[in-house]
Amino acid sequence: MITGGKRFVSSPPAFSNDAKRLLVCTGNTVSVFSTSTGLQISELEGHEAQVTSVIVVPPSSPASKLMCYCWTASLDGKIKYWDFAAPELMTTIDIGSSIHSMVIPSLLSQSAESNGKHPDLFAYIYTEDVKPREEKTDCLCGQIQKCNLTKSRIVGGVTLAKTRKPGSITISPSGKYIGTYERQKLRIWEIPEKDSEHVGYKKIRLHHTKSFTALAFHPTERVVAAGDVTGRILIWRGVGHKTCLNDGKLIRRGLNKDAEDQPGVRDDDDADSCTTWHWHSSQVNVLFFSSDGAYLYSGGREGVLVVWQLDTGKKKFLPRIGSPLLYFVNSPDPSLSSISRADNQIQLLRMPSMEILRSISGIKPSSSHMEIYEGFGSGVVFNHTSGLLAVPTENYRVQFYSLFDDREISEVQICERNYQPGDEITVKVNLVAVSPDGSTMSTVETRLPEEGIGNLVSLKFWACSSQNKHFSLSTVIYEPHGDGGISSIAFRPTSHMAVSSSYGGDFKVWVRRHEISTEDQTVENTGWRCHAVGSYKKKPMTASAFSGDGSVLAVAAEKVITLWDPDRNILLSVIGDSLEPITSLSFVGKSEYLVSASRGSDPQLTIWSMLKLCTTWSYRLDVEAVASSFDKSTFAVLALIKPAKHMESTEASLHSAEGVILLFNVENPVPLSTWFVSKAQGGGLSFVWSSPKSEDEVAETKAFDEVLAYINGAHEYVLLSPHGEQASNLSFSRHRNFSSLEEKERSGYASIYGELPEFSLKIDQTPFTSMPSEKTWKTMFSGPSHSLPPLPKLCSDFLESLLERRSALVE
Amino acid sequence: MAETFPVKPKLRPTSGKSTPTAESKYWKSFKIPKDIETTPSKSLNYPITSLSFSPVAPHDFAATHSASFTVFSGKTLEPKFTVNDFSDAAASSSFRCDGKLLAAGDLTGTVHVFDAKSRNHLRRLKGHSAAARVVCYPRAADKFHLFSGGDDSVVKYWDVAAEKCVLNLLGHKDYVRCGDASPVSDDMFVSGSYDHKVRVWDVRVSSAVSVAELNHEKPVESVIYLPSGGLIATAGGNFVKIWDVIGGGKLLYSMESHNKTVTALCMGKVGRVGGDEAEQNRILSVSLDGYMKVFDYAKFKITYSMRFPHPLLSVGFSPDSLTRVIGTSKGILYIGRRKGKVESADLGDPVALGAVEDEPQRRVLRPSYFRYFHRGQNAKPAEGDYLIKRPKKVKLAEYDKLLKKFRHKESLVAVLNGKNPENVVAVIEELILRKKLLKCVTNLDAEELGLLLGFLQKYSTMPRYAGLLTRLVNKVVELRAEDIRSSDQLRGHIRNLKRDVEEEIRIQQSLLEIQGIISPMLRIAARR
Repeated sequence: MITGGKRFVSSPPAFSNDAKRLLVCTGNTVSVFSTSTGLQISELEGHEAQVTSVIVVPPSSPASKLMCYCWTASLDGKIKYWDFAAPELMTTIDIGSSIHSMVIPSLLSQSAESNGKHPDLFAYIYTEDVKPREEKTDCLCGQIQKCNLTKSRIVGGVTLAKTRKPGSITISPSGKYIGTYERQKLRIWEIPEKDSEHVGYKKIRLHHTKSFTALAFHPTERVVAAGDVTGRILIWRGVGHKTCLNDGKLIRRGLNKDAEDQPGVRDDDDADSCTTWHWHSSQVNVLFFSSDGAYLYSGGREGVLVVWQLDTGKKKFLPRIGSPLLYFVNSPDPSLSSISRADNQIQLLRMPSMEILRSISGIKPSSSHMEIYEGFGSGVVFNHTSGLLAVPTENYRVQFYSLFDDREISEVQICERNYQPGDEITVKVNLVAVSPDGSTMSTVETRLPEEGIGNLVSLKFWACSSQNKHFSLSTVIYEPHGDGGISSIAFRPTSHMAVSSSYGGDFKVWVRRHEISTEDQTVENTGWRCHAVGSYKKKPMTASAFSGDGSVLAVAAEKVITLWDPDRNILLSVIGDSLEPITSLSFVGKSEYLVSASRGSDPQLTIWSMLKLCTTWSYRLDVEAVASSFDKSTFAVLALIKPAKHMESTEASLHSAEGVILLFNVENPVPLSTWFVSKAQGGGLSFVWSSPKSEDEVAETKAFDEVLAYINGAHEYVLLSPHGEQASNLSFSRHRNFSSLEEKERSGYASIYGELPEFSLKIDQTPFTSMPSEKTWKTMFSGPSHSLPPLPKLCSDFLESLLERRSALVE
Repeated sequence: MAETFPVKPKLRPTSGKSTPTAESKYWKSFKIPKDIETTPSKSLNYPITSLSFSPVAPHDFAATHSASFTVFSGKTLEPKFTVNDFSDAAASSSFRCDGKLLAAGDLTGTVHVFDAKSRNHLRRLKGHSAAARVVCYPRAADKFHLFSGGDDSVVKYWDVAAEKCVLNLLGHKDYVRCGDASPVSDDMFVSGSYDHKVRVWDVRVSSAVSVAELNHEKPVESVIYLPSGGLIATAGGNFVKIWDVIGGGKLLYSMESHNKTVTALCMGKVGRVGGDEAEQNRILSVSLDGYMKVFDYAKFKITYSMRFPHPLLSVGFSPDSLTRVIGTSKGILYIGRRKGKVESADLGDPVALGAVEDEPQRRVLRPSYFRYFHRGQNAKPAEGDYLIKRPKKVKLAEYDKLLKKFRHKESLVAVLNGKNPENVVAVIEELILRKKLLKCVTNLDAEELGLLLGFLQKYSTMPRYAGLLTRLVNKVVELRAEDIRSSDQLRGHIRNLKRDVEEEIRIQQSLLEIQGIISPMLRIAARR
């Protein structure tokens, strides 16, 4: 079983000390990426649940700058210590309750005191207490605890705070403060320089009228910045002045508070002044002070990174990022930082110019606005020959993602528009279909009308060029079915033919025509044109499929299935009468069986025999997706389990699983194997050839190496072996080619002019070695300087000649 | 990062006709020069029986019609002079290889020889007992002989200076109507006759018998040598045949795309304007069906055909491939001239000039020269250089710029002021996507509203835009009813609009009626 398509942006990434690696929390693992190439180098595997924090151990002295150690914390309640260069697990500490956030202040302040004996290392972890949750539901289950990492145990009795929900802890760059926010309250603790198990904390609280969403500490001064849901940024200066001066004793200032003394500061908050900046229109997600403390970076849902000059409040922008920002992390290298975008992408920025260097992207999440058409259509499409995944994204693109390499291949802009997060959606890419050989893609986009004016459905065909594997637009068809929306597109496996079925009551068969114009011009003009139109009693056509050999076209006309000859457009037969409109049709491999699925209040999965034109067997299942294998007579369905039907007595494991994947043989209604999966709503399922190969290879190899790919609603995928029994020893291995090492960094001369040509030492040396002079050192430097070999080389000769003389003297 | 996408109109289906090929562009580029288009002299009133070009520049040409022939200047395409020294209709004309003499036959059987410059009547060659339909000078270098053929089915070979018939070539059994001299040999020529035969003659053979005989199977109207001298094209009936003479008179191809008798053939050349490809030879054939066809005999394919309103009798193509002349039975000359250098007198000069031009560039550039500041800017990339292309600049129209600044109403007005309805519709669609169209419509002032209504009146009934615009019209009228009522001008617009819509409805109704009539018939036809 192989999983992939992890979210890269679930928690902030971390740079290694030399800024050449980026550690990203990806589900249960931590992936290490090279910042110079953007490719994955290695992976830290060991956690059993989502990793929530990764902290790179900073170098304690300049010599140990190449140290590659990190701490990770995960929801499985374990803290692990890794050498990520190897990669190797060093230590594991079991906390017991899931950790949502972890900071280690002593790592940052440690560098100051570099005497031989290291004090104990303390981490502050935001844990979620699971136990009391069952007893009283609305209790404070999130708590900030202290953990002695050296002794690998929780420090008893130190609970800094209890909150309703575990959030994240923010740490100041100096390691002096840690803070957290909950609703309209900021809590800040000052960590004493000598941290030990029993130590008092100075505690500061700051209040605001809106809920906080971000928090940042100034690296040197007592300045705290916080963002709220309305997009305001509040900056408190001189935070905790009083608390510190009075040695932790809080002074109740009461009513005699002088408003002019503390402009903008609410109530009795401990700060000198508070200023508010308002540029963001919606909530602020990112706040970060630059390392010198002169600038403040902020970002939010608009997808704009704003750089504020802290003293003047002047702004600079990195606009049009195109997706909400989640994190901003800077690296030890001052010219490099990274932003994490909500569309599962991490981008590396060259810093002062804020220019995007490269992107590390995972599968784009499903669009929040994309209303799924009734019936099928998670939107995700598999291509079984190349093992690719086509994902329609929010910004009107289709992303191609390799299932086996677990990385993005390319992106295609479907409609020429820019996406601005937060805008009202007026265009959506409804359907994507890729032909079995991967040479053609077809997309459907819909423009939504403004008060009934100007809705438009357009069908686009894209051709893949064989050289660079990029899709280019081949044909645009406006309103292919009049006003009717398109329910499905199917490609014929054997020829360049496609069918689009419409809710408007007809289907159209499209063929690709070739026009190679005159002999001396090699301009090839290919395009798709309508070959035939068919309809059945004006019923809405809801699904379509070609048989494996391409001889039969099946189109579902609401509740019946019509079978057509695609070439001559003749209605061959009409079968079936289901209770609900059929939402999916699929021929099983090259066998004579057809699978139809209908959803709604009375869902049904039916297997039809094409020879007898009758039902073979059927189930009452709410089927989300159907996948059929290509050669064999097996197929798999992804069925949703209705919670209502669920019996309380079923196993606990079933509770978490909302869906089930069933693998059937067509002749037998008993499933061959079963998997329980979660987040099945909006998921997809397909058989994929385990290794991408060309057509002739396919002919000789058996269908054995087909694997079942399942992608869930959150766009994480799993590759399953269809032969459930031997799930452990899969017949294929993941050919994951981590790029071995980051490329050598060029600097100085080489970065400008490239490498110097290789200088061969041997040729140049010959004239000198053959010189039979006693006093080489005398003649060596005679001659024009341009014909002399370079000085470093002469130097060694010169020294050698001196040595010789001396040895002769000794003799 | 986001890019800038200018607003683009919807794509339109390209017409089924493919883009014109380079060859058809070439043949279309023979146009009647504007300055002589209207001169009436182009119409000669009588059928133009033959056309011949002078082989030397500037390639004057002669057209025979009725009892005279006219020589046209190859430079200006104006008639230079007309000779009327014929007692009967002139039938054929031919220039000598140096272009100085011109021979023409007439229907009495006499062959006349003129000085092409002074029009002096130099010689009268009398011998044919019937009309001399073919007169032809040898093409290569022979200046003293010519041959003629006549309705007495004899082909005569003349010594021009002595006005004496050297050889009587016998063999044809019907009128000799056409002939051509070999382009490679002065002694070889070919004649075609109404007895369906084409005979190849060689005057070196003393027996006065043809060296080869080809059977065209139709009365031969025209015969030409192809430039190699080894192939012959014959025309007669509705078809043109290509023969290989060297290969023993083998038929290579029969081109049968004319619908009426092919009357004349001539050689044409397709030369690329850029000169990147070698000139290719074509056969031009004209026929009584009014078509001129261009035939590529290397590929045996018609590469171009052109329709004329009259039956065509003769065709000529200048050796410098700049002029194409077609004569009709109505006496109209279709003269086509391609743009190009008429004079290509001295080719040696530009090369010499180029060498001279190179010289000053060697001078050392100093900042006192203007060119100093341009040095290196015109450097061309070498063969192996890796080119880094400058990113293409996106062109933004005014409405695009306004849309970028979110000034929606201004952009709508800007595009309405433009002429292109497609762009207007594209901007309207973009505004719909931004959900700002109706706000724009409400914000328009009276003048701008008039602009919009004018546009809607013009295009809302156009099928391509109707789906969008008719709904928009409804909305506009609904939203701005009061403004429209208060202004006379706007009411005028609405009146026009109403009239157009009513008209369109009438059209649609009649179309529906027609559909009602046709559809049962189609159904019946489909059943059979």
